[in-house]
Amino acid sequence: MAPSSSNGNENPNLKPTPDADGSSVEAVARRIQESLALPKRHRFWETQPVGQFKDLGDDSLPEGPIEPPSPLSAVRPDPYNLPASYEWCTVDVDDAAASAEVYNLLSLNYVEDDDNLFRFNYSQPFLRWALRPPGFFKAWHIGVRVKDSKKLVAFITAVPARIRVRDAVVGMAEVNFLCVHKKLRSKRLAPVLIKEVTRRVHLENTWQAAYTAGVVIPTPVATCQYWHRSLNPKKLIDVGFSRLGDRMTMSRTIRLYKLPESPATPGLRKMELRDVAAVTRLLREYLSRFVVAPNFDENDVEHWLLPREDVVESYLVESPETHEVTDFFSFYSLASSILSNQHHSVLKAAYSFYNLATRTPWVQLMNDALIVAKQKDYDVFNALDLMENEKFLKELKFGPGDGQLHYYLYNYRIKEQLKPSELGLVLL
Amino acid sequence: MGDWQELGQAVFIGLIFSFLLAKLISTVISFREENLKVVREGDISAGSREIESDVKNNAELQLSSLKAESAKNGRSRVGEEGAGASEKQELLKGESFLGDDDDSDWEGIESTELDEAFSAATAFVAATAADRTSAKVSSDVQLQLYGLYKIATEGPCTAPQPSALKITARAKWNAWQKLGAMDPEEAMQKYITIVSELYPSWADGSTTKKKDEDTAASSSSAKGTMGPVFSSFVHEEESENDLKLDAIHVSAREGEADDILKHIENGVSVNLRDSEGRTPLHWAVDRGHVSVVEILLSKNADVNAKDNEGQTPLHYAAVCEREETALLLVKQHADPNSKDHDGNSPLDLGGSQWSFMTLAS
Repeated sequence: MAPSSSNGNENPNLKPTPDADGSSVEAVARRIQESLALPKRHRFWETQPVGQFKDLGDDSLPEGPIEPPSPLSAVRPDPYNLPASYEWCTVDVDDAAASAEVYNLLSLNYVEDDDNLFRFNYSQPFLRWALRPPGFFKAWHIGVRVKDSKKLVAFITAVPARIRVRDAVVGMAEVNFLCVHKKLRSKRLAPVLIKEVTRRVHLENTWQAAYTAGVVIPTPVATCQYWHRSLNPKKLIDVGFSRLGDRMTMSRTIRLYKLPESPATPGLRKMELRDVAAVTRLLREYLSRFVVAPNFDENDVEHWLLPREDVVESYLVESPETHEVTDFFSFYSLASSILSNQHHSVLKAAYSFYNLATRTPWVQLMNDALIVAKQKDYDVFNALDLMENEKFLKELKFGPGDGQLHYYLYNYRIKEQLKPSELGLVLL
Repeated sequence: MGDWQELGQAVFIGLIFSFLLAKLISTVISFREENLKVVREGDISAGSREIESDVKNNAELQLSSLKAESAKNGRSRVGEEGAGASEKQELLKGESFLGDDDDSDWEGIESTELDEAFSAATAFVAATAADRTSAKVSSDVQLQLYGLYKIATEGPCTAPQPSALKITARAKWNAWQKLGAMDPEEAMQKYITIVSELYPSWADGSTTKKKDEDTAASSSSAKGTMGPVFSSFVHEEESENDLKLDAIHVSAREGEADDILKHIENGVSVNLRDSEGRTPLHWAVDRGHVSVVEILLSKNADVNAKDNEGQTPLHYAAVCEREETALLLVKQHADPNSKDHDGNSPLDLGGSQWSFMTLAS
């Protein structure tokens, strides 16, 4: 990086040959730029109660809320202003028409990979599951419409969650599905959406939030890495999700990722409603070992982990002798549109959710998860390196991904960034 | 006569002097404004990847917060700024991000692909300008780009002509002014064309640039905001190691039929083995290049050649589920029952789903 000294003698290339006037202006401009360039500016986030980069390593700042809760009467009662031709709306995802609108907005405008080969395609049943957990607020499902046409052009959501940070259980909002129509990108709508969802979250007396992002903003509490395990390598190669090395054959790659026809662990079966109490008990105990993790009760477990066709799959190991539940794995189902391929239009991905092993070896348990996912025709199994996932990733032939997922807390400070293995929270 | 001349000279010098004085004053006054403009142009290169990174449409707000920030940090290097604006700074700082009351901010202006390409191009130019190692561009082209940039972002030139003494400013002004009432979209298009001619690969750079690099192009991807992230396998670059494939194997792998024929005409064996015992036919079958398979078969490639693991091209076709290729091979008497070193035949490896395979065995 350029030193911040003032030097009028090195000219930027694309400016005309400087005379006295020009060079001094440019020198001043450059000095300002340099003073601002490092560290990178985050004009929006620097105004928000989030951990700031400049505070990193400052031991004098206490862990916990950055700002105290305000009285509810101090929360702005009206929505933030939108330009005249747009209006806020509350989207009821249980309504078929509204749900379809959200699906269409997201499926055409939501997150893509760097090369624009894939775009997330969250299904309508998935969105209903993700947005209607116990105690959800309809007002937290926020849309922006064009006044005239009523077309939905932007969306953001929050759902309530109790998240434990060390010993404190904090009522938080999980913020997700921020999406702005492609034609309105770069119009700085996102900050207004974030402000508005924050306002509505405050109105429900909630003052903290958890969210993720693929980029670094102030300031991640943890940074995780995605790993991928090919289940259908030929398709993944054909569509550009993975690539063959110059000396690698398709034939050998397919054989490398071949899985047994059926799971190996005796007593492995799908989770049922009657298992909720046992799974909750196991999961609460297991998650207590992580620094940040959800504080699930039985209602949460029933909502988040009871299997739903093509949304979330959960399996457990019930000991054939004692009928005790000892191990558990789950994954959620998130397809992506394949944007330019003649033969394939959908990539079916399983995402590792919550897993725990008390008896079964991790590698065996998660290999069974891969087998189940393969049986259900998933193309790839994805997992972050959080919780204890590193205990099986490499051995089960997961390969590193190009995506990092950064975790953030709003209005809650953590002194030191957590290692992925200290994190027990999966956001959708 | 002589007196009149002297008087005229004195008046003339006096006029020039007062003109220069007036110009000096106006220069001082316009200094601050000009500074900010330059900051703004430069700022595209420093443009953050965060949520609202649309630099060019929000210059005003950006300037406001720049001012507020630099003043706040006590690092104000522009003399005119600093003291006396503290209440205003708070206001700007708090409200500018939202543009709450500024309808014109995005009403009716929809971001098009051209907008985005133009943003990316300006960001690229700014980044290139900041990179002292990159090749220099002639000042004519620089001025041309400048003029187009101004047309695209501000429209026709309405600024007063700068003094001839301010050579740079005058040249810039001329470049802008001579474009007249050019359509902004046309200006964007021309700007992109020039950048593409100067740096044919600039667009590749802006799309392949990843983490920690700032491009205005990133504003077109949703990855810049909160939410999930789409990840796919990291593509590891192959090391240029000793075990390189022969040209004929590469041609077979890539499906280059003409090259295959050339290699064979040049005397390369159609059954040449690579370091793992694979023939060109193995490679062509593996990648599913049917026409290359046909050519190799027509050149009498060994249809039952085994690689170092004992697998024939038909094993590959079965594993890779390439039915059309498998049929071609079977017609040329490939053996569906040939065992590899693990004892598996093409039939065992998935070939049994095709009736022609079972019929042939």
